[in-house]
Amino acid sequence: MTREDVVSLIRAHLAEELELDPARIEESTRFKEDLEADSLDLFTLVQELEDSYGVTMSDAEAAKILSVGQAVDFVLAHTPTGS
Amino acid sequence: MSVTVAVDAGGADLGAAEVAAGAAIAAAAGVKVLLFGSAEEIGEVPDGVEVVDAPLSIAKDSDPVRAVRANPDSSIVRAARAVAAGDADALVSGGSTGAAVAAGLFNIKRGSGIYRPALAVPVPIPGAPVTIVDVGANVEVRSEHLVQFGFMGAALAQTVLGIERPRIGLLSNGGEENKGTPLVVETHALLAERLSAPGSPFTFVGNVEGNDLAAGTADVIVTDGFTGNVTLKLIEGVSQAILGAVRTAATSTPRAKAGGVLLRPALRAFRDEIDPEGPGGAYLLGLRRLGVVPHGRFTRYGFSQAILLAARGVSGDVVGRTHAALEAAGALRGRPEADAASGSAATVPSP
Repeated sequence: MTREDVVSLIRAHLAEELELDPARIEESTRFKEDLEADSLDLFTLVQELEDSYGVTMSDAEAAKILSVGQAVDFVLAHTPTGS
Repeated sequence: MSVTVAVDAGGADLGAAEVAAGAAIAAAAGVKVLLFGSAEEIGEVPDGVEVVDAPLSIAKDSDPVRAVRANPDSSIVRAARAVAAGDADALVSGGSTGAAVAAGLFNIKRGSGIYRPALAVPVPIPGAPVTIVDVGANVEVRSEHLVQFGFMGAALAQTVLGIERPRIGLLSNGGEENKGTPLVVETHALLAERLSAPGSPFTFVGNVEGNDLAAGTADVIVTDGFTGNVTLKLIEGVSQAILGAVRTAATSTPRAKAGGVLLRPALRAFRDEIDPEGPGGAYLLGLRRLGVVPHGRFTRYGFSQAILLAARGVSGDVVGRTHAALEAAGALRGRPEADAASGSAATVPSP
């Protein structure tokens, strides 16, 4: 699993959930300011990351993740096979 | 146009075979059914019903969100995924409401521009049937959520219940527009604004108090999920108590019993009118496809009604109608400007 793999998953998930052009989702993209994602969007993203990578994210940890890049950092830091 | 409904047969109190019998009734009326459950329990089915063997049921799990995520092969998840994949047009599940909401949310996903899905229940009050929304999907809400709930409930009332121009009322503790919590007062103003246009398909009648809920003042009553759930259960509990008291009184003496015999034909019609199985159950609104959640204790009649009314909702395009009304009223959830400008419009899947 590479960093780009995780970015791709998050990009695909957000594009599907929010019905956005995936091309506009980059690591620097902020969930709320740039995508107008709400708490339910972020909840389903956390579910997706937990299901896909076996990570566990507390509410406190999730609250600190404000951008795609930060979500990727978290997955790579916490997944058993992160690289 | 033929409609296909995915039905989760797991979790019904009377067993998967009873759900299958309901599916057979709906199939005889022309609805195609994809029935997910234990093939062994379901048994033989007629033409129009296709069984997908999915013996795992998570209806009794105490943590439905966890159960839905952890059990992709469960009957409810497989049924929801069939709808998401386009193999079916609507979802019916007689198991856990929580599991149906979770499976719907994670797989079918929210409709375009929708903040929150909601549960709506048509309550068969004699002479004044009313649909309450939300009855439990959302405990904490904002005013824009409640506005959307009103539109969702009204579109349901129009397509499934056949009400030409549904009247939306906002549940409050007083009739005046300044009565209620700050949330209710704010929602009142928004609903009045959003439904003020001459061509609006729905009407806002203002606040409705609890004792007016059964008065026929509104066709759709909007409230948060906590209040809606308490309201619904209060209605159910009081109804049961009154019916039980009437039954007891009617059988208390030989004279009363004689009177009961004379009343029986009239009471039979009355009983049919208030039968909770008639409306099919709770409706899961706000997803990309319609969901119906009959109560687990329903008989085959209730399940058949849920399937038939789900099909009616598809044929009447309740999802598209909701979206169109919200869009015309300026009540859709905003999308990032870049996508709006690029014209990459989010579309509601066609039935």
